[in-house]
Amino acid sequence: MTKQMDFDVLVIGAGPGGYHAAIRAAQLGLKVACAERESVGGVCLNVGCIPTKALLHAGEQMAAARHASEFGLTFGEQTLNVAQLNGWKDGIVKKLTGGVSSLFKANKVTSLKGQASFVDEHTVQVGDQTYTAANIIIATGSEPARLPGIEVDQQRIVDSTGALVVPDPIPARMLCVGGGVISFEFAHVYNNLGSQVRIIEFLPTIIPGADADAVREFGRAMKKQGIEFETQTKANSAVQKDDGIHVEIENVKTGEKRVEVFDRVLVAVGRRPRTDGLNAQAAGVHVTDRGFIPADEQQRTNVPHIYSIGDVASNPMLAHKAMKEGLVAAEVIAGKPAAQDAVAIPGVVYTSPELAWVGLTELEAKEKGYEVKIGVFPLSASGRAMTLQQTDGFVKMVVEKDTDLLLGVHIVGPHASDMLGEASLALEMAATATDVALTIHAHPTLGETMLEAAEAVHKQAIHIMNR
Amino acid sequence: RTDGRVLAVPAARKRARELGVDLAQVAGSGPNGRVRVDDVVTHAGQAQQAA
Repeated sequence: MTKQMDFDVLVIGAGPGGYHAAIRAAQLGLKVACAERESVGGVCLNVGCIPTKALLHAGEQMAAARHASEFGLTFGEQTLNVAQLNGWKDGIVKKLTGGVSSLFKANKVTSLKGQASFVDEHTVQVGDQTYTAANIIIATGSEPARLPGIEVDQQRIVDSTGALVVPDPIPARMLCVGGGVISFEFAHVYNNLGSQVRIIEFLPTIIPGADADAVREFGRAMKKQGIEFETQTKANSAVQKDDGIHVEIENVKTGEKRVEVFDRVLVAVGRRPRTDGLNAQAAGVHVTDRGFIPADEQQRTNVPHIYSIGDVASNPMLAHKAMKEGLVAAEVIAGKPAAQDAVAIPGVVYTSPELAWVGLTELEAKEKGYEVKIGVFPLSASGRAMTLQQTDGFVKMVVEKDTDLLLGVHIVGPHASDMLGEASLALEMAATATDVALTIHAHPTLGETMLEAAEAVHKQAIHIMNR
Repeated sequence: RTDGRVLAVPAARKRARELGVDLAQVAGSGPNGRVRVDDVVTHAGQAQQAA
């Protein structure tokens, strides 16, 4: 660099990807700034992962209290102070976002407040100041996709952000448009809080991308709890009237239309990358028709000193993927040979039971030409699951037939998300089902269902009949 | 090597990048030809000797 730059690295966006990039770059001795137009912590901390998980926990506690009578524990009438619930959730968000700000200070990352906009390939305007940087990391994230015919007002018709504010009273009838992860999580929250919830999905399957058997088991568990869902169904319009929101619902297979009335409608039909106001073209950065800023394995865009990470770079739009990409971009800038070379990126639906998976589904493995063996262990055979009153679900392992190589793990059950760490490590280490089966897992735990599923691959599980 | 995928533990992948080694060229000593860190270092040493 011949010219003196204000910063070695300027990160645009302080979400999971952005703050990971900023902190790692600072750890590596670089002079770093991070610009954010809204709140530090981004979508995940403020209006995504964290607040939804708080609401999910609250709803599950209510459901658990109702089920406690099975073992003789009864509580008085269940009451919910909605203001307190919202306040508790907001408190967690505040604590965590405050934590990120403290980490910025501790790592001497300069926090810039305001909309960031490229002036040229080394200059970015943030608010009314301009800064120069040798390297720039774009981490602008994503936002909820819109649906024509349904206008989100964040009161009665909401997207994921609006749905985080629990209304008082709880909606009696709620419609969730979209059969993906976000929709099911909110459906689960509101179902547990007492709403009657229906989900409609345009595609023939819910939770696209997940293993078909796991989705079936998951769907069964959701239905058992009273969450209704229909596939190949779409919402054409939503009109707010005094008696509720009149939604025209269409079966896309038969073309049959009907109008149903709801008190709240959630639109959760996916997310789109966010580049508004960024003025990426001023830096010569390529933006695709769909708004993504693609990056290579080193997270570099078409402009070598400008990087793109997280939701704005590519699917899947997951916080842990953004975090990893943030670290990679920072390390590459610091001259280290880092790369986004993960074998698999785990996915989780934080309902109860959870649906969690990593690696290839059975179908994907077959499509890739693998000859596969499958091992399934049902939670109905798990002692630990019984003691937790949560026996819906299973662990399914997809394994290459000849080599015994683990290709994918699909879990439906409580704490599936936490069990996924072992599965991810196994995939990264190129473990075989035998490696997992030979590992002593504590008893009684849910984690040992991984061991039994691996044994089931070889038709040697102990707690089930092997077929 | 299973379906064209090079089986290598994360630390070996990292070491290969640091040493500029093409993982596909490394003989893995682990099960299914899985590449370990030592395999990468050995390969790099041999490549250097050959050059």
